[in-house]
Amino acid sequence: MALLAGFAASITNGIIGSYVVVKRIVFIGGSIAHSVLGGMGLFLWLSRTYDIAWLHPMQGAFCAAILSALLIGWIHLKYKEREDTVIAALWSTGMAIGVIFISLTPGYNVELMNFLFGNILWISQSDILYLLGLDALVLGITLIFHKKFLAICFDEQQAALQGLKVHALYLLLLCLVAISVVLLIQTVGAILVIAMLTIPAALGSSLTHSLTRMMGIAIVLSCLFTLVGTIASYQLNWPPGATIALIAAMFYLLSFMRARSPA
Amino acid sequence: MIVMDDVSFSYDKTLVLENVTLSIQNRELVGIFGPNGGGKTTLLKLLMGFLRPTRGTILISGDSPKVACKRIGYVPQITRFDKQFPLSVLEVVLMGALSKLTPWGTYPADVKKKARDILKQVGLIDKEHHAFGTLSGGQAQRTLIARALLSEPELLLLDEPTANIDPAAEEDVYQLLNSLKGKMAILMVTHDLQSILHWAGRLLCVRRTVTSYLPSELCSHFALGLYHDRSTLQ
Repeated sequence: MALLAGFAASITNGIIGSYVVVKRIVFIGGSIAHSVLGGMGLFLWLSRTYDIAWLHPMQGAFCAAILSALLIGWIHLKYKEREDTVIAALWSTGMAIGVIFISLTPGYNVELMNFLFGNILWISQSDILYLLGLDALVLGITLIFHKKFLAICFDEQQAALQGLKVHALYLLLLCLVAISVVLLIQTVGAILVIAMLTIPAALGSSLTHSLTRMMGIAIVLSCLFTLVGTIASYQLNWPPGATIALIAAMFYLLSFMRARSPA
Repeated sequence: MIVMDDVSFSYDKTLVLENVTLSIQNRELVGIFGPNGGGKTTLLKLLMGFLRPTRGTILISGDSPKVACKRIGYVPQITRFDKQFPLSVLEVVLMGALSKLTPWGTYPADVKKKARDILKQVGLIDKEHHAFGTLSGGQAQRTLIARALLSEPELLLLDEPTANIDPAAEEDVYQLLNSLKGKMAILMVTHDLQSILHWAGRLLCVRRTVTSYLPSELCSHFALGLYHDRSTLQ
């Protein structure tokens, strides 16, 4: 069950992470990932304080991720010159809101710790269905829009000249990044999402000159990191999310050192 | 025909272009030169519809630039692109036909065939599967010209296509443009006045206002970057 969830997240992560890397919007991905804490904290607080059983922190994460993606996209399109500052402000605002709601929430918040740092072993059958549903959505949209996403990542002016709705496509891409973030929270947690979103894709980019192949390599690597990380965490009794992210980081470091070493 | 009638454009309160009135015939090759910050790139962006004039009108074969943009081919400077972007030469060229993507996001077979034909025309068919980032400056520039040609433009805009490439590659680009002469209107921004004099039928000096010159009228001062009005021509 845990590995199935990890592999499901790896598919979107490999595809969307590749767009994030080539479009050089890693910082935006990081901001979305951290701002989800605000949504998770709010939904957890609402469900515990007002006893709303159907409210789940993951729903809060989904809403916060989409909201922050649209907000960041709008800032990118309207206020390019102040983009990095505003994104950093959003990053910390989301986390601050999350921390405040967590402190206000009655009871012990082990659930939230799992969302923050990930616990792939904690995934239920309904979570798997939810993950697979989001996977299918991301895959379907990507299949139809891949060439257009490729165009806006490479040359927005050419895309606009050809009549593509560049701004709408950019916002759609950020929403897909937001969905990938939510999927990855289950595996590695909100804090470590950015590692899994970027490292497999970055490794893929060093092995091929084709974006499609890069996505395939990123998916395979992401599955590999999840498998090795989960087994290692079980053997060493380490937290699974952190172990998976650490395995990915070690591979990246080795690849970086190999690229830098003289022939 | 391209018509600009009394066009002015300002960024915030800075006037970049003022009272520009000009017309360009359907199959003309026109060189655009002028000092840095004179408004050359702004002029191209206005023609492509990326900017809207603060005053005046622009018509391309009777349509506004927003409507006519799919009939415009644009060749930007190669330095703008990320050399590490994982993209093949053929994929770059196919971006000239984004408007022809099917609802399922694929290019029709005839578009792919045409892209390969154009790659043959620009002498890069053997590079179709190579990474765009591994091409030399001249090859990258020809790839971008091929991309523009795939859109079957009636107006081809080039922004310093010979900047940052070696002299042999520069000659290749000029030969290619010469082969396109008479098939579409071509507007080319350049700092290389000596070369453009041989190819262009007319030259526009852009420095807030636009002055049109025939190659024979051009003063050697311009090649040195010493721009002045027509009234002071010797």
